Amino acid sequence: MIRFARLAVLAVALLVPCLEVQGEIRFPPPEFESGHQFPETTSPGAQPVFHEYVDVAVLVLGLLLASYLIFKRRSRRAIFILMIGALLYFGFLRDGCICPIGAIQNVTLTAFDSSYAIPLTAAAFFVIPLVFALFYGRVFCGAICPLGAIQDAVLIRPVAVPRWLESGLRLMAYTYLGAAVLFAATGSAFIICRYDPFVGFFRLGGNWNILIIGASLLLIGLFIGRPYCRFLCPYGIVLRNLSRLSKRRVTITPSECVQCRLCEDACPFGAIREPTGDWPEGEYKIAKRRLALFLALLPILVAAGAWGGYTLRNQLAGMHPRVRTAERVYLEENAKVEGTTDVSDAFRATGQTTELLYTDATAIRNRFALGGALLGGFIGLVVGGKLIGLSVRRRRTEYEADPAGCFACGRCYQSCPKEHERLKKSAEAMAARV
Amino acid sequence: MTQAAERTHLWHRVAKTTAIVGGVFTGIFTVLLAANLVGSAVLGPARELKLEGVKLLVQKDPANETLLSEIRQRDLKIRRDRIWRLDFAHKAAHMLLASIVLLLLAGKIAGDLGKELPHPKHAADRGEKQVREARQARWAVVGGLALLAVGMTLVGMSGWVRFVQAEDDGPPFASWEDKQTQWHRFRGPGGAGVTAYANIPTSWNGKTGEGILWKTPVPLPGRNSPVVWKDRVFLTGADPNVRQVYCFDAKSGQMLWKGDVPTVPAAAKLEIMEDTGYAACTAATDGRRVYAIFPTGDVAAFDFNGRRLWHRSLGVPDSAYGYASSLDTYEKLVLIQYDQGDGSEGQSKVLALDGTNGQIAWETKRDLPNSWASPIVVDVEGKPQYVALADPNVIAYNPADGKEIWRAECLGGDIAPSPIYAGGLILALEPYAQLVAVKPTGTGNVTETHIAWRMEEGAPDICSPVSDGTYVYLLETADLLICCKLDTGEKVYEQEIKGDYQASPSIVGDKLYILDVKGVMHIGQAGPEYKELGKCELGEECHASPAFVDGRIYIRGNENLYCIGQAP
Repeated sequence: MIRFARLAVLAVALLVPCLEVQGEIRFPPPEFESGHQFPETTSPGAQPVFHEYVDVAVLVLGLLLASYLIFKRRSRRAIFILMIGALLYFGFLRDGCICPIGAIQNVTLTAFDSSYAIPLTAAAFFVIPLVFALFYGRVFCGAICPLGAIQDAVLIRPVAVPRWLESGLRLMAYTYLGAAVLFAATGSAFIICRYDPFVGFFRLGGNWNILIIGASLLLIGLFIGRPYCRFLCPYGIVLRNLSRLSKRRVTITPSECVQCRLCEDACPFGAIREPTGDWPEGEYKIAKRRLALFLALLPILVAAGAWGGYTLRNQLAGMHPRVRTAERVYLEENAKVEGTTDVSDAFRATGQTTELLYTDATAIRNRFALGGALLGGFIGLVVGGKLIGLSVRRRRTEYEADPAGCFACGRCYQSCPKEHERLKKSAEAMAARV
Repeated sequence: MTQAAERTHLWHRVAKTTAIVGGVFTGIFTVLLAANLVGSAVLGPARELKLEGVKLLVQKDPANETLLSEIRQRDLKIRRDRIWRLDFAHKAAHMLLASIVLLLLAGKIAGDLGKELPHPKHAADRGEKQVREARQARWAVVGGLALLAVGMTLVGMSGWVRFVQAEDDGPPFASWEDKQTQWHRFRGPGGAGVTAYANIPTSWNGKTGEGILWKTPVPLPGRNSPVVWKDRVFLTGADPNVRQVYCFDAKSGQMLWKGDVPTVPAAAKLEIMEDTGYAACTAATDGRRVYAIFPTGDVAAFDFNGRRLWHRSLGVPDSAYGYASSLDTYEKLVLIQYDQGDGSEGQSKVLALDGTNGQIAWETKRDLPNSWASPIVVDVEGKPQYVALADPNVIAYNPADGKEIWRAECLGGDIAPSPIYAGGLILALEPYAQLVAVKPTGTGNVTETHIAWRMEEGAPDICSPVSDGTYVYLLETADLLICCKLDTGEKVYEQEIKGDYQASPSIVGDKLYILDVKGVMHIGQAGPEYKELGKCELGEECHASPAFVDGRIYIRGNENLYCIGQAP
């Protein structure tokens, strides 16, 4: 009860800074002469380029260190300290920007818009964690990502999420990834950045609604480990699938698994897989038929998804500012709404004709016809792929960290008696050397 | 208990106590921040309200130093309080953040140190369990898909805007034919003062209310005339500070909306002759939008719902009596005759603005002095001409691109009466001197070749001419109506009609409608002989030309807008 009360206090405390941000209202200068000399308005200068190189260097060094700590030192404490350091640097010092999660959009826009030149840093931040994932799994998630770190830091009382629920919820992340790519490719919006739930905390201020979402995720994160990383993060999806191919993988035990089962509940992210049991009687044949069914269903799901996405092309195109402006202006022109907005006023001030605006908007909508179909088809493919994946049985003889779901945080090491044995031997060897 | 266990226990207690301290500080800073927030939200607005109250008092007594001093004191207090609260909020937020970090860190350490060893239960049959979990996961994925489908359906139901109506409605302006049935500009179609309707009332009395369908006060003065498009009547009004466009319901007279037209503050005060006033120019509509121009050089467009679509300042015109030329429209263009100065500085011009956005479509310079006549757009042998008068020229332009078609040097003086097109001739007045008829079929300078005739036996200085297709009628400012033959210019008669006149005469069927300044409408028989058919009093002074549309007359008095007609 006391613990619950403490958590409730904490919950309120996390929300209050958001309220204070809302309270920061600027007010106009006095209406009378006071003799005060107003300082000249100045604009902050451009950020020095070397900052960006420093960021990339810190990222690379951080990932190297994280890989070393995970695979060589096997030290949760050291990884935690590194994670807090990354949170302070990439989060609070660098304001949560730039990050590889948002860089997905820069890369996408580069691919689809020849007039857009991707910043070198954005490209580096996108590629480097992926390269590390191919070698060492999700070390970026576990130790460097500030979004993951802030959630990891508040995880106090982990509650296991049933595996079935996790499978269902992960669809959100795939959908989010597909939508982010679509909107970036069409030049509509960088939704990952716009809806970054934690950037407001890093900057100690921001959009009220996003702060509420961020605070809610942190509240959930007190009990559910890294909810954003597991169920929403689009970059996590990319890392997750690349990590399946990684050369080195996190192993719970440093040597041989003794099947003590002490690690069963060690992972707050549900990434430990137990050894597989025997097929129940008759299940094998059913599983084979099911797999065949889902394989046959896959193209249907893709086609249905593509059709669904295509039918929503006009609604999806509403994310594009030009289309939104056209819709607003059209409604105003046809007296369907009252008054004007800043956007419609600004459009009229440009002197452009409404005909041109509508033509542009229609062309963008046409682009969304293909984009919407691809998004829908992608979702259909994901659903079909997951159903197939869940119908295939992979053989395991010992407790393993799931390479896709493992954040490489090192928590599970401490629960393995073999790890304690290794540490003891290591300490003795060190003592002998000394 | 072993030594190591005792040490762990001790650290556990330390971490736990630290977490409690962090929690207490978190609570304290939470309360402080909340109190600060409530204080800002409650006290701040209350103090600002009081300050606004004192400011209102100062508006009534601007020289009251006590009140001014009180304003300064209150303002200073509000600012100090606000800055203090902001500063406090920043500091407290940082302290709160530090407390949360301490609470989390200590809490985590306490949790780790207090963690008990796991006690795995006896494993059930793994095979069964894994098959069950996989089945549940598949259903969860299917459930997720179903939720996505529901979400997509909801998004699909949210609707979207089809950009089709504009295409269905045709071009963004009314057709030439539609305009001929309305009163879309000063003196109606072609500026001719001739209505297409014969069912116009011939009897009313503004004093008794007989025949008056409705009467609605007009907020600001103006000598511009009503413009009518179907069920809407438009007027403008202005004083030295405010410029407005009004829209009235033609059925009830209710003012549907009024729209303000902004201006750019002028360096010098605008001097305008009282007789011209600040709203002499009549508005014009293209059937989609209504346009207005004021002597400050401000042009604005409103849609029929009163939303200002654009505003453009052409610069304050240098006009001796105050700018007074009314607007006309051609397709989606707003046509403006912007003559000013003495003609030596090249300030005069005719221009067209795109009605949809206010951008200049074309502009043609004129080396002519200021004039007050309103230009007309007429159809000459299937081709449009935009005719504008100014000393000494009658010039026709192509309204689509502003290129000059022909010009005739035949006028002089301060040109205020507007031209008309009748019987294949452009008729232009030189005040006090002559009526000139020009054949509009030439190109270039047609002074020597296309002047059909001149009638040099006097001409009005304000009122524009009107023609029934056979005769031309000229109305002097005082008492006199002159009638000439349209084909030759030969004077037919002069008729004294008692009154002062500023509104131009109009033709309804075979009747002449002549409105004097006192508000009396003289209705006479058009033709080779004048015969008075009736006189109708309005009971209010009038300077603007009336509008005649489908069984109704709209007359602007000095104070009110009148609709004369029979109730349906």
